[in-house]
Amino acid sequence: MLRRSADHDRRDYDLGALTAAGGSGGVAQGNLLRDFAEAVVALDRPAIAAAGVRIRAALDDAAFADVAGVAAVFEALDRVADATGIPLETAKAEDTAGFRAEIGIDRFAAAGEKGRVA
Amino acid sequence: MSDVSYDHVDLPIRDEVVAAQQLVWKHIAKSGTWLTGGERVSIAAETRAALNCDLCTERKAALSPFAVEGEHDHLGALVPPMVEAIHRIRTDPGRLTRAWRDGLAAEGLDDERYVELVGTVASTVAVDQFCVGLGIEPFPLPAPVAGEPSYYRPDGLSHERAWVPLINPKTVGPNEADLYANSTGAYIRQAMSLVPDEVRGFFALVASQYLDAEQMHDVGTEYRAITHAQIEFVAARVSALNQCVY
Repeated sequence: MLRRSADHDRRDYDLGALTAAGGSGGVAQGNLLRDFAEAVVALDRPAIAAAGVRIRAALDDAAFADVAGVAAVFEALDRVADATGIPLETAKAEDTAGFRAEIGIDRFAAAGEKGRVA
Repeated sequence: MSDVSYDHVDLPIRDEVVAAQQLVWKHIAKSGTWLTGGERVSIAAETRAALNCDLCTERKAALSPFAVEGEHDHLGALVPPMVEAIHRIRTDPGRLTRAWRDGLAAEGLDDERYVELVGTVASTVAVDQFCVGLGIEPFPLPAPVAGEPSYYRPDGLSHERAWVPLINPKTVGPNEADLYANSTGAYIRQAMSLVPDEVRGFFALVASQYLDAEQMHDVGTEYRAITHAQIEFVAARVSALNQCVY
């Protein structure tokens, strides 16, 4: 979906930032969003609070609430996908094959089993 | 009465988010399709308890989670295969395998109860992590409501595409047609279709905290206080950290 946004925005977002140790990916306030996402997954409450203050200052309160909502619901969506062993849609797999290999998704622990195409 | 309220929070939480979370909290409390309200609330409580489990911590740090044996620190309300399922899904979802799921089935955790468990864990995580992100304590779990499960099993299931049976959007019957309305019927929407009410409850959270299916694809319109690109960057970074292949 980030690639679709890139097409629409006529921007060349760096998808490698998604699996790299740092980087905004070229997304506005990407470094702040990244810090927050990482802190939520790690359940690092001081880091969550610090990132939240920075997001509220740089964006606004409504934006911060939306960032928190997205991070939380993807924590859950990932678990639904991983616990049920759903495959990738054929079109999705074909469309993303290049960057999945490039940025390392194919090297995730379960890639051999769950990364198969339906 | 629902215990989900953000009145004490100095942030503009959208009404649809509050409504969806209240709906899910009530859904957890009631008897579901294959589990009682008591079992469902116990699953939510165990989802929280998993974060303080020493065995889960050791397994998460191990090269393979299957190399570490032991007993989970658990609340004592659920049978062992349910405890194992909850703890692994909560603490190390990226390394779940088909063999692991089959092992739980061999211990008596059938597909129907397993899928309902997955839905309950996922809904709990979505609400709890939202609270964590906002810097507030998670809400008290609801009190179980007495009643019997419905034991409703939908038609049109097939078992060859995932670890659990799914309803194919092309053959979905009238009772479940709403599950795929206005969506492409992606596998993530099919994942819990064996227990349709879990799809309905969970995707109410997805639509409110993220985007609904139509909004997701309408990249030309912004529906939130952050852009599509910002939304997808957060989503994709979370998924990468969870090593979610899907």
